[in-house]
Amino acid sequence: MNKGNFKNIARTIQAAFLLIGFMVLTNGAWSQQTFNAKGTVVDQQNNPLPGATVVVEGTTKGVITDIDGNFEINCSKGNTLLISFIGYKNQQIIVQSEQLGSIVLTEDFVTLNEAVVVGVGYGTMRKSDLTGAIASVDSDELKQGVVSSTEQLLQGRVAGLTVIQGTGDPASGASLRLRGGTSLSASNGPLVVVDGIPGVDFNAIHPSEIVSIDVLKDASAAAIYGSRGANGVIIVTTNRANKGKSMQYQGYVAVGTVSNHIDMLSANQWRAWVRENEVTSAIDYGGNTDWQKELEQTSISQSHVLTFNSSTETSGYRVSVNYLNNQGIIKNTQLERLGASLSAFQYGFDNKLKVEAGINTNFDKWNPYDGRIFERMLNLSPTIPVYNPDGSFTRIGGTKYDNPVELHTNRFADNTRHRLLAYTKAELEIIEGLKAVANASYEYNSQQSRLYKPSYAVMEGISDKGFGQRTLGDYTTMQLETYLTYNKQLTDNHRINLLGGYSYLDNTYEGFGAMRRGFDSDLFLYNNLGAGQDYRAGDVYSYKGQAKLISFFARANYNYMGRYMFTATVRRDGSSRFGANNKWGVFPSASVAWRISDESFMAGTSAWLDNLKLRAGYGVTGNQDGIGEYKSLSLLGAGSDTYYDAVTQSWKQSYGPIQNPNPNLRWETTAQANIGLDFSLIGRINGTVELYNKNTYDLLYTYRVSSADYAFPTIMANVGSLNNKGIELTLNGNLMNTNNFNWDANITLAKNMQKVTQLSDEQFQTDDVPSGSLHGIDGMSGQFSQIIAEGYPVGTFWGPLCTGIDSLGKFMMADDGALQDIGNVQPKLSYGFGTSLSYKNFDLDVSMYGMYGQKVLNATAMILHNPARLPSLNVTDSFLESGITDKVTYSSYWVEDASFLRLQTLTLAYNIDGKKFGLGKVRLYVTGENLFVLTNYTGTDPEVSIEGLDNPGFDWFNVYPKPRTFSFGANISF
Amino acid sequence: MKIRNIFLGIVSLLMAASCTNLDEKLYDKVSSSDYGKTPSEIETIVGRAYASLRGFSDEISNAFPTCEFVLFLSETTSDEACIPTRGADWYDEGRYQEAQFHTWSPQNLLVLSAWRYSYTGINKINLIIDQVNKSELSDDEKAVVNAELRGVRAYYYYMLLDLYGNVPITTSVSNTEGISNSPRSEVYAFVESELLEILDLLPAEKLYGRFTQNVANTLLARLYINSEVYIGQARWDDCIEACDRVKGYQLEPNYFTNFLTENENSQENIWVIPYDSKEGTVGNFFASLSFHYKQKQAFSATSNYTDCVNGICLQPGVYSAFDDTDIRKQGFLEGDQISLATGSVILMDNGTPLTYTEAIIDYTAASQNEGVRIKKYEVKEGETWERDHDFVLMRYAEILMMKAECYMRMGAPVMARQMVVQIRDRANVETPADIDLEFIDQEWLREFTLEGLRRSVNIRMGDWFKPWWNKDATPEYRALFPIPQYELDLNSNLVQNPGY
Repeated sequence: MNKGNFKNIARTIQAAFLLIGFMVLTNGAWSQQTFNAKGTVVDQQNNPLPGATVVVEGTTKGVITDIDGNFEINCSKGNTLLISFIGYKNQQIIVQSEQLGSIVLTEDFVTLNEAVVVGVGYGTMRKSDLTGAIASVDSDELKQGVVSSTEQLLQGRVAGLTVIQGTGDPASGASLRLRGGTSLSASNGPLVVVDGIPGVDFNAIHPSEIVSIDVLKDASAAAIYGSRGANGVIIVTTNRANKGKSMQYQGYVAVGTVSNHIDMLSANQWRAWVRENEVTSAIDYGGNTDWQKELEQTSISQSHVLTFNSSTETSGYRVSVNYLNNQGIIKNTQLERLGASLSAFQYGFDNKLKVEAGINTNFDKWNPYDGRIFERMLNLSPTIPVYNPDGSFTRIGGTKYDNPVELHTNRFADNTRHRLLAYTKAELEIIEGLKAVANASYEYNSQQSRLYKPSYAVMEGISDKGFGQRTLGDYTTMQLETYLTYNKQLTDNHRINLLGGYSYLDNTYEGFGAMRRGFDSDLFLYNNLGAGQDYRAGDVYSYKGQAKLISFFARANYNYMGRYMFTATVRRDGSSRFGANNKWGVFPSASVAWRISDESFMAGTSAWLDNLKLRAGYGVTGNQDGIGEYKSLSLLGAGSDTYYDAVTQSWKQSYGPIQNPNPNLRWETTAQANIGLDFSLIGRINGTVELYNKNTYDLLYTYRVSSADYAFPTIMANVGSLNNKGIELTLNGNLMNTNNFNWDANITLAKNMQKVTQLSDEQFQTDDVPSGSLHGIDGMSGQFSQIIAEGYPVGTFWGPLCTGIDSLGKFMMADDGALQDIGNVQPKLSYGFGTSLSYKNFDLDVSMYGMYGQKVLNATAMILHNPARLPSLNVTDSFLESGITDKVTYSSYWVEDASFLRLQTLTLAYNIDGKKFGLGKVRLYVTGENLFVLTNYTGTDPEVSIEGLDNPGFDWFNVYPKPRTFSFGANISF
Repeated sequence: MKIRNIFLGIVSLLMAASCTNLDEKLYDKVSSSDYGKTPSEIETIVGRAYASLRGFSDEISNAFPTCEFVLFLSETTSDEACIPTRGADWYDEGRYQEAQFHTWSPQNLLVLSAWRYSYTGINKINLIIDQVNKSELSDDEKAVVNAELRGVRAYYYYMLLDLYGNVPITTSVSNTEGISNSPRSEVYAFVESELLEILDLLPAEKLYGRFTQNVANTLLARLYINSEVYIGQARWDDCIEACDRVKGYQLEPNYFTNFLTENENSQENIWVIPYDSKEGTVGNFFASLSFHYKQKQAFSATSNYTDCVNGICLQPGVYSAFDDTDIRKQGFLEGDQISLATGSVILMDNGTPLTYTEAIIDYTAASQNEGVRIKKYEVKEGETWERDHDFVLMRYAEILMMKAECYMRMGAPVMARQMVVQIRDRANVETPADIDLEFIDQEWLREFTLEGLRRSVNIRMGDWFKPWWNKDATPEYRALFPIPQYELDLNSNLVQNPGY
């Protein structure tokens, strides 16, 4: 809480009270009789405010408003009631009668922000007390409209957190990356902690269940999660049972269409080209087909969530059920999800013990598509009809000429996934301020796939005479975390907060699969694999593995007058994945904060500077994702290596070593320093600037080793190092606020600079690592497009610099085609912008995000601009305009600037007081998503995944187009 | 207070119970120290040595003995095969052009592929021998098991000796320090001594796909016939002697019996790498790399044949080196290719007929239909990318040809002709009364086209160094390939071959 600000308010109020007191005294004649006055405290949108304090001025009489914002207080006419609620400006009214009606509190922009309770891992803190870099997003700021992956909620919301939705596939998630990523080979995704349970699958949680998301950005904040904290931590708080009774429905219907196509020649354009160029050998199949449109559809999606809550002070429950049917804009693709969550709590033992339990579960169904359709839909001549006159699919034969509509239609693919997250938590207050907590959780994800390619289906269907496959994969995590917290106000000025705990995690994965070929009947689909006659080695398999993580952790906070704050954390992690020589790692951190605006020398600025806080921290975190299980050991496995046994005249399974063991394997270590400045100005603007510098060392990479020295070509080792530094800015402003009109806006800006600083040590050496393979493009087998090299960021495109196309249509390369740095996949700047306006019952929300300066290899265009394609394979309109006659050549010509600004959502809503219909609050809205993208990128969409080293920043036929969606929704409280 | 104590008790119990053990528990794998104790377990480990002969594929290179790029290295640098550049297709960083022009650099992927094939096999076998030595078998039993393993390893070393000459010799399980080269003469001596040491321990009988005494003797014969090239000392007698020790094989009456999909019944094939795609074998797809994209229409009326990618073909002059009556000529595709569905000539994408020509007018910008294609191994409708025929490494005809060449070189052309005539009779061609070394050279070409032997013959005969189609004279040092740059970068103790 901002003390300076409060002093001002207090002073004003004091003055007002004096005046009122004076008036009361002088009019003492009608002030004696007491009665019970009734009123309702609401916000500017007329939402009830439960828990607001109502005090009769000058007395100790006070009450708290109930769930509907109602209160009843004993007072006399002429008394002044002081109404306060955290995050709102205090309000006073003079009692005139028993019926006080609605009392409207207006938001106090500055204190609201500072009073936010932030999850810091194993506890919460007020934002005002934080010493580390933590960004918070609460539910009403989260993305609206169609959300099929929970990651999307954060798009453009947190400075430094890049969310890339590389595909429009409704069944596929987005990737998250904080402050540039710290690893070459391991995941760069932050650790997701849901309701205190670390490592949860983000998508186990329904978006509507989320109350707030806190992002621990720097190491001093994330170090409490030790060897899993290097890429930051995302703390998700979900709805739990809370006091009162309520019921709510949220739902929408959405219509989506393809936002952008690749402009290919139409049949008539193709025919014109053939005529003009007098091509006699071209085959015109007589059709007029737009192969992209043949695969697309207008999608209609719907979502429904019903929630009810019934709780008292000491016990209660909350239930939520949801259904989502998210259709894709490619035919036959959709995600159907049925989910439920249940949470309950009970106090006991003199309210000293709180027991909570909850379960979150969902069931997904989707139909995976064959990714090869995207290349073929651009290959096939527009003159080929989709169907023969007899209704069968056309087949013209030849490699990559397969009819994509047939490929997409003649298959049966049904996947399902169950997710379950259950927990039990007990909190015991041993003495005042000392709490013991035990939190046991169980997460179970199970995925099944079912695939059948009938014997009449093009490609494998025909060649395998029917192909059926089933797989099952289970993933189970059991965790127990126990910890003690001690919270004590030592004297008026000194407050301490201590935490110490232990955590045990067991992660087991197992699965099996079976496939068969040679089905005499296609009637069984994938349901009776035994009916297949053709059995092959490797058709049946199973696997199992396990990892354990054991940790001890501690944290101490010290706070002096809310002006000086200090935090230190330490975590000791032991992981079964680590090599025998490095089983345990220690991850410490320390941070301080200083509220400058509270210093007496700042008194002169208090008129406009409400808050100024400087933070500094340093910490060490780790990343153990990249190791995987069993990588440090010398193992034998039965793999695909069979051998012919001449004695029994049969094939047998051989056993052999499977890897070069490395007993020195350890986590990747990231040391990060962070300086942050929080400020609030003129009561309307608050903001944060963060500066960071993080060094990751012991970078894991699978090093190539000499084949004369080792039986396997690579060995995983901790060698290199990587530096990320950057600056982030977050600004929130309340631009206008009257009784009827409110206007808020927020901006996030982030700049990250990445550099690989070391790749070699004495044992393992490499000058540069080729990445971004072009293998599979005609004439480019074994060729790479990127390098990882000291001094360059990961994902640096390395190729010839093209200076243009000469008069003969040949590419002109600078420096005789010497390979050089031609840009990289990392954005120079990423940004988000949001604004919300409300006027009376209407509100309007706009959110945009974008990236600037990142490059994308438009491999799709590179392949399509091939003079050898015509007349048999289709080309783009732009190919004919380009005049290119040269063979397909990788160069900077195809490495495009993919800067963009996307209007992600625009929501217009109307809020109704539903009382006249017997309802509570009703909100009706319409949302448009992905309404436009401003970009110079020539492919379908500039937002391309940069995960991994295989094809980061590649646009290569594999991109499921992104939809433009309009949704109509209603939220109704009962 | 009671509940509180119980609660705290549980908490501390849970903390203490499970906090120490971080050993990884194995489920679907076994530790190398726990496996390979019993004879049946040993068998499965030895099996992996034979599986290694099929090579592998990873993100660094393909390393398949049947095609990419182990076979391609010796074939596309010889005078019998080539991979023309067709537009952008098959340019692939110029690796095949370098092979054709004899201008390969140490960076060439073909050069790396064969090196990795050999050493990966060698180091896997070193690990397997280590496992065998740690087992509970008796010393005699170990010696017998190890004999076959050492034999396969000697085969890999023979390849290295032939291709790279001066290579490191390793027989231990790990060389983290980086191992240095041995001169070619030492590698030669190592291969010979290994083979001679194990000869009597190897199976004397025919065992399909295994490294038997017959295989060892054939390999020794190969070593001796090239002895002059390898160490500057001719050993024609030793070669004939080794050939004479090969027992139990004969020429198949039909040349193509050796190349059937079910070629395990051949009485001629001495050593093969067995393949059966249903048993999970991969890497056996040479023919698909040769045929045109639309060739499938000629093999199946419903185009039920694997995709083909129009690559390797015969150098001009090879096809016409066969008499028309020579049945071996049927192993190639030349002229119009007829669609089984329509009965007429298949049309390529550009609308012109698919007619393979022997002439390749511009090697660096060839048309899709130029070059004679290779279908020596049987082709069947419905075949997939991965083939099931066993890949022939050694067959009895080679014994005859090696003897013929040795007799010829030792000045006994009549004896030589007795060998050659057997081969030519089977091929349904007359043998001239007088033959010379040049004739033997051409017979090697005709009998063993695309069987991986041609480069050695070219070098032995000296033609390697003379200009031929799309190739200038080749300097002496290019009789050896360079040590791959990739390997030099990873191992500072390796020294590049002279001249590179």
